Amino acid sequence: MKKSFAGVCLFLLLVVALFSTVSAARVQVRISGWGGSDQPIIEEMLRLYVTPALEKEGITVLYEPIADDFQRYIVNALSANTAPDLFYMDIFWAQSLIQAGQVEPLDSYIAKSKLLKKEDFIPSLLDAFSHQGKVYGIPKDFNTLALFYNKDLFDLAGVAYPDEHDTWDTFARKMEAVSKLDGVYGLALQPEFARMGALAYAAGFKTFEQNGKSNLFHPGFKAALEWYTGLAKSRAGIMPADLGQSWGGGAFGTEEVAACIEGAWVIGHLKDQAPNLNYGATFLPKAPSTGKRGNLIFCVAWGMNKESKHKQAAFKVLEQLTSPEVQQWILERGLALPSRVALTDNPYFKQNDREAQANYIVFRGASEGNVEPFSFGENGGRWMDPINEALRAIMSGELSVEEGLREAQFRLDQEMQR
Amino acid sequence: MTKRKVDTVKLLSEEEMLEIKLKRHRWYKVGMVYLVLLLVSILAIGPFFFGLLSSLKDNPLEWPPKLTVNQLKPANWVAAFRLSKAGCGKGFFGEFAPGAVIPFQVTYQVPAGKEPVIPQVVVPKRVPGTAGAALLIEHYAADYFRVSAVQEVKRESLADHSIRVTYEFTIHHTGDVVCDRLPLDITVPLGQQFVGATIDPNRPNERLGRVQSWNNLTAGVIPYIFYNYHRVFSENYSRTTGKNLFTSWIRNSFIICIARVLTNLLFASMAGFALARLKFRGKNTIFLLMLFSMMIPAQVTFISNYLVLRDGVFGLSRIFGVNTLLNSYSGLIVSGLVSASSVFIMKQFFEGLSSSLEEAARIDGASTYQILFRIFLPLAKPALGALTILTFQGVWNEFFWPLVVLTSPQDRFTLTIGLLSFRRMYGVAFDWGPILAGSVISALPLVVLFVVFQRYFVEGISFTGVKG
Amino acid sequence: MRRSIKEKTAPYVLLSPYLFMLFVFFGYAFLRCFYFSFTEYDLFAPPQWVGFKNYLNLIQDFQFGLALKNSLQFAVIVTTLQTVLALLLAVILNQKIKGIRFFRALYYMPSITSSAVVTLIFMWLFQKKGLVNYLLTSLKNGYRIIAVFFGLLLMFQAFLVIGEKLKKRPVSCFEPSYLFLAVVLSFMVTFFLVKTGIVTMVEGLPPVETVWLNTKKIWPRNHRLFGISYPLGSIMLLNIWTTAPTFMLLYLAGLQDIPKELYEAAAVDGATKIKTFWYVVRPQLRNITFLVVTMGLISTLQMFDQVAIIGDQAPLDAVITLAYYVYINAFPSSVSPKIGMASAAAVFLGLLTLIIVLIQRIVVNAGEGD
Repeated sequence: MKKSFAGVCLFLLLVVALFSTVSAARVQVRISGWGGSDQPIIEEMLRLYVTPALEKEGITVLYEPIADDFQRYIVNALSANTAPDLFYMDIFWAQSLIQAGQVEPLDSYIAKSKLLKKEDFIPSLLDAFSHQGKVYGIPKDFNTLALFYNKDLFDLAGVAYPDEHDTWDTFARKMEAVSKLDGVYGLALQPEFARMGALAYAAGFKTFEQNGKSNLFHPGFKAALEWYTGLAKSRAGIMPADLGQSWGGGAFGTEEVAACIEGAWVIGHLKDQAPNLNYGATFLPKAPSTGKRGNLIFCVAWGMNKESKHKQAAFKVLEQLTSPEVQQWILERGLALPSRVALTDNPYFKQNDREAQANYIVFRGASEGNVEPFSFGENGGRWMDPINEALRAIMSGELSVEEGLREAQFRLDQEMQR
Repeated sequence: MTKRKVDTVKLLSEEEMLEIKLKRHRWYKVGMVYLVLLLVSILAIGPFFFGLLSSLKDNPLEWPPKLTVNQLKPANWVAAFRLSKAGCGKGFFGEFAPGAVIPFQVTYQVPAGKEPVIPQVVVPKRVPGTAGAALLIEHYAADYFRVSAVQEVKRESLADHSIRVTYEFTIHHTGDVVCDRLPLDITVPLGQQFVGATIDPNRPNERLGRVQSWNNLTAGVIPYIFYNYHRVFSENYSRTTGKNLFTSWIRNSFIICIARVLTNLLFASMAGFALARLKFRGKNTIFLLMLFSMMIPAQVTFISNYLVLRDGVFGLSRIFGVNTLLNSYSGLIVSGLVSASSVFIMKQFFEGLSSSLEEAARIDGASTYQILFRIFLPLAKPALGALTILTFQGVWNEFFWPLVVLTSPQDRFTLTIGLLSFRRMYGVAFDWGPILAGSVISALPLVVLFVVFQRYFVEGISFTGVKG
Repeated sequence: MRRSIKEKTAPYVLLSPYLFMLFVFFGYAFLRCFYFSFTEYDLFAPPQWVGFKNYLNLIQDFQFGLALKNSLQFAVIVTTLQTVLALLLAVILNQKIKGIRFFRALYYMPSITSSAVVTLIFMWLFQKKGLVNYLLTSLKNGYRIIAVFFGLLLMFQAFLVIGEKLKKRPVSCFEPSYLFLAVVLSFMVTFFLVKTGIVTMVEGLPPVETVWLNTKKIWPRNHRLFGISYPLGSIMLLNIWTTAPTFMLLYLAGLQDIPKELYEAAAVDGATKIKTFWYVVRPQLRNITFLVVTMGLISTLQMFDQVAIIGDQAPLDAVITLAYYVYINAFPSSVSPKIGMASAAAVFLGLLTLIIVLIQRIVVNAGEGD
């Protein structure tokens, strides 16, 4: 049954391919991504690069921005057969779509392509969008976590800036010292695995063990949890919510904390809210036990609709969307971090400019130490909920570390049975 | 006077005592009632009022929350007018035009024993980090400016021997293109305290007070006061169609509201009349089913309803050449033609009317339709009025269902969904200004509607839900 | 004969648009939801029949229990308080004085703004460094001022009443016109005392920094079953604030419908205000109260928007309601939809609503007996 289905697909594909080459009729490829700031970026990208490149092939591209909950939109649209030909896939939920068989594997296209090669892309990114050896998404840009610090505050306190040689211990001492300043706390501690997880990975924690279970009593996880929540006991760390801020970048922008762990998204926030903030960025501190750092990868890829009527044309658009020129343009405009390996040595990163330098740290973060994708198998985001809850409860003094761990493990086991 | 008083004490009849009591009660009416009314008013509109004030602020999240807003100070209005006039010759909507010479003054204070340092003045190349604005700027003032030497114009010693100095400089436009904004940064050493300037800075305390920065000196009065409101309109337009998004959303909301108010009025009157006044088989079943449907949460039905709209209501929409009703006005209108609660309200109203008119009309040989449209509907004005406002309010604020039905393109959104896209766009940067401003605008039509038709509304309600 | 057919079909013709809505967007949808609740369905592959599995999963799910608890707490408390508040507001507004229409419009304001806007403002108010804690801190630090104010109030009132009694005039201790005078006077004196620095705020007390939203703390403490979590309590306040004005209008209409003669008769009988309210006004409002309570219960059991908008500002366990539980199962973050589970929970929510409304009806009917 499956085979015949695949056969039919292939046949249709051929027909479509023939049809599109023979008739050279105008094909409109619909692509869809986030609204908000992504919209002007993509539309500008289409105008400058994609449309001119595909004009003679008779392919036009229409961008359909989605304002809210993109995942929900794409699930609905795929089920309703109204989905666009290409769409964003966030690393966070991409696997659920891939495993539901809604995304077209791209290997056969890539094999024939002259423009798009697997080895051009950062391997850990590509892996996150692969399933059973097949590639389902081409990463368009990504983010990792970096340590952002306020140079003025460190200067004022007479403390050395955090740097790439810091371990958790030396870093904590710096935080302790800088928090002696009046009205200044050390590190913004978001009670979220999306921040603390990078430290747990650094200490050797694995999301899933061999048996497919998650063990929060892993010494690495416990050590990271103890260190992270321990900072909140003094002024060396504080939850942003306690400062009336909803995230670390917010508290960082108002100079209430000396440092925060965030991705490159914080740069855009600072441009608007604190354009003169004198900040620097460095790698996250290393775990003393392993001497390594950890990180999380946040990434968005382009995926192709399995039921698309213009797969060949869609792939041509995909090639253009992730072409070296486009990625260069994205990088230079400071819009996002592109996913091509070749850009590591780009002159942009070498500029004497704090934004470029911060972007470089985030870019390099993808290949420093134990790096894991920000995705959690079949459980999705719910995997993190018990941990986030424990982090919050421990830091606000409602539970001890031991109690918090036990509670989180219990809820996690229950969650994973669902 | 004293004599009369003595008299009243002496001759205190029953009647007079009652009069004194009543007099006091009038007192009570005037004083106590207004006092209580005022106190409760604070509770009722306090939060809303604060939202409104905050929507004008540079930083709606400031702490401690203050009631003073720079944008509402007349001194700043005058300054904004003058600066904009200097920037391009126009006072209300300004820009930084070739040939502009902009004078500026700033005052600092240093503690006793310290010598004030001449501040550094820079027009920065400030790129908005988020939202559509990032790619919209063509020319940066930073590329076309020259700042004159900064000169000390005034120095005074205060009582505690600290020194207060005022500096003056001018900013010149050196190029030949128009820049739409002129940002400014002034930097001083730590400890030199900012006192005031020609116009209050948008961020007075950056880098622990070392930097004062302004978003746009030559904005003009209106964009200065309504900075966030101005952004709502100026930063949001579709790059594919060139249409202004925010005005599209307002229009869409109005179209859908009006259409659904009309269908609800008509169909609810029809159904309410049938249920209230006519005898037929299945009436009780239908009524019970209606009550039942009012109790069932939308969460139960939305999945199926989404699928129904997706397939164009069992393919019926194909008759009109439309395959799906998703992402369309018609989808929202068809799925909200008439609501159970509207029918309920009309039924309650029609049941409350006397039957003598109906009987008289029937004896005269009027048909059911004539009775409804000629006799009952004209009498139903109060109920229809209330229903109009209730429906309008409900549809205007509707959130969940439009969110499911409308996904793209953006200029099809209603206001509520548009606001949500604002939250995505500005919320990531915690840029609450435009979000609050958008919220205030979206609430305005309802406020106006209510203030104008308020009496009608309260009276209308007494005819509807209550008399059951 | 023709006329008779036309007349016979008239009810159905008139009803047809509504019946279309009722059957397609309610009946059909309801049955489909019922069917989905016995299947596993991710919107892609066709639904798979699994019998009662979803319902069994539901019972075993810890989070479902929390959602049920929160929903019930929310429905009972909010409905009660908002009904009382609505009635109170209506009584306050039921005056024939200048400017009352203005106040009516003002009081109704919380109800016309959309839940998104209102929730955002409330989130801001309930921050750890928000206006609510700011006001509480001021109250705490200003207890001397408050004590002085009430002391003065008591003194003035006593003075006025005794003075009147000395003149042998009939006067009650709470004579409202004097109370008003006393309030104004003591406010002025207190203001003067504060301005001149004779009475001051207490310095050095720690500020109130209660975390309202981002916490799982419950009140009263240690009552796991009945305790209300702080964030849910905050949402309750918000919800009462936004919906009470709607019901206030209903009550106001009811109050204005009460014939004047009834009040006059009560006054002639010498009934006090409170007695008049209890024996004359309250029975007249019985129908409205039934309507208000029923509508309140239905809407509170469906509470969704506020939880969705507060989002990650509060721990999910502390605020999750049944309606939100349905939603996060239908559109879970990062995994495929679980339409089956969502539908089972939705069916449960529907049944629960019916049962609670029925219970309320029975209670009211029993109450009407006396």
